Amino acid sequence: MMQTDTSLEAALNALLLADAHALDSKDMPGWLGNYADEEAAAYYCRSAENSEHGLALGFMYDDCRARLEDRVTFVNDIWAGTFQDYRTRHFVQLTSFDRVDATTLEMRSNFSVFMTPKDSGITQVLAAGQYLDTVRQDKNGELKLLSRRAELDTSVLPRYLVYPI
Amino acid sequence: MTEINLSWPKNYNEVPKEAFVRKDIYAEEVKRIFHGTEWHPVAHESELPNPGDFKTFRLAGVPLLIGRDVEGVVRVFYNACSHRGNQLETAIMGNKTEFECPYHRWLFDSKGDLVGCPNPREFLPGFNKADYPLAQPRFDIYFGLIFVTLSAETEPLLEYLGDSQNCLRELLAGDGRLKLLGYQKVRYDTNWKSYTDNDGYHAPLLHQAFKMLNWQGGKGRQYTATHRGHICFESALSVATGPSVLKDKSLIEFKGQDPAVGSRIVSLFPTFVSTKHLDVINLRFATPIDAETVEVHYAYFAHQDDDEDMVRHRLRQSSNLLGPCGLISMEDASVFHRIHIGNHTPGSAIFQKGVHDPLKLESEFLQNDESGNLPRWEYYRSVMGFERATV
Repeated sequence: MMQTDTSLEAALNALLLADAHALDSKDMPGWLGNYADEEAAAYYCRSAENSEHGLALGFMYDDCRARLEDRVTFVNDIWAGTFQDYRTRHFVQLTSFDRVDATTLEMRSNFSVFMTPKDSGITQVLAAGQYLDTVRQDKNGELKLLSRRAELDTSVLPRYLVYPI
Repeated sequence: MTEINLSWPKNYNEVPKEAFVRKDIYAEEVKRIFHGTEWHPVAHESELPNPGDFKTFRLAGVPLLIGRDVEGVVRVFYNACSHRGNQLETAIMGNKTEFECPYHRWLFDSKGDLVGCPNPREFLPGFNKADYPLAQPRFDIYFGLIFVTLSAETEPLLEYLGDSQNCLRELLAGDGRLKLLGYQKVRYDTNWKSYTDNDGYHAPLLHQAFKMLNWQGGKGRQYTATHRGHICFESALSVATGPSVLKDKSLIEFKGQDPAVGSRIVSLFPTFVSTKHLDVINLRFATPIDAETVEVHYAYFAHQDDDEDMVRHRLRQSSNLLGPCGLISMEDASVFHRIHIGNHTPGSAIFQKGVHDPLKLESEFLQNDESGNLPRWEYYRSVMGFERATV
């Protein structure tokens, strides 16, 4: 199905919001569901500082579907009950998108994430940065993330990370 | 030095919680420990592989500029102009052969010499550029690991490292020829001593991952290497076997060459922790920000002789295994915060596991003993001048 740019933009925004909603709801299966069901599906979280210096190391480096699935297991099973939990609110803003080919798009967006630890109740900024996404469009026009790189302007985190950004 | 009163318990296995939270104690720690007779690792040479590469770092507030000059020699300077003291370089890392202070345009070369300053005829009579190089703290290098001390009285580095040398050298891949993979940087809401005090004993209990991955532990050796209580851990690597909950097992795969002693930790007083676990080589440059905050730069490395596959493996393992979001360490980060909150209560933290006699200090421990921290606490107490109770 061909889409006009306006409906494509609306669909990309819907994908961005679906991911923000899943993360803020701590719905890890929902988060996984925003990614394409392909072996190459990937999520990276790293500082822009590393990227700018050609350093590929990240805070999270899930470069295949199996690692995305393991990320769900980390949060829901392995770490359960061992950390001070915190709420997050993701604010995302689409800044540009381009079609690469019939089934692939590239999209950039800004993000800021607030966190509120449950014990202190004080809200602060967890991270700000941009998402560099590759988006897969299937035959029905549905959009999923093929890969996402959350590139953090925040090179020094104010806290450990439990959930993806 | 200022005399600070803190009543220290008679038993070696008790640490008064006040030591973690009192601001007057922290101010004295900066003087006696961070500006005192200790060596502090601040970088590894492999973070500056090329002539002109530099990195900046603040050691308990003191700004440092660590660079490789145009001839390839590593040097450490105070990151402040020799004129009025303006912070010279603001980038965290980069490559420059000259550093110009924007305030009055004093220009320094990569060896720290003042090579230019506008209108010197208006300066003091007899002004000579040669008298104004960038100031330098004492520094020394061990297998690429760059140490700084802010005191003229600190003993030579090798003496300082004592019996931790071998373990540290092996942790640095035996030859120190590392290749930087990148950083994870984080601030923890905890006193710097809580950060360095919490490793070892808790691992099999806190970390659900060890159980779920069928990881066995506790079979290694832990020893203190000097009177400062530097701690070395050496243990046979227990690679997870049997069914695993992970779909991508490469995260806990071991491809390295050192299976007999596959896991090493060297923890040097006051804040440095380094580890080699599976194929992860991790140096943690940590500095206190204030009494309640510590900033840790986890730097990860490959070896220069690694082939492309091995570099990729180390990159994938390093990003997801340790550090502030790592599979087997994220909970540590949470404990740092919680223990700092708990330390605002009366009484002492009491060490139990591995303590045979509370009135004696030992130097050999089992891998998961918490008593391995006690020699460093005794050293800390003596440096701070706290009197141990006799009854």
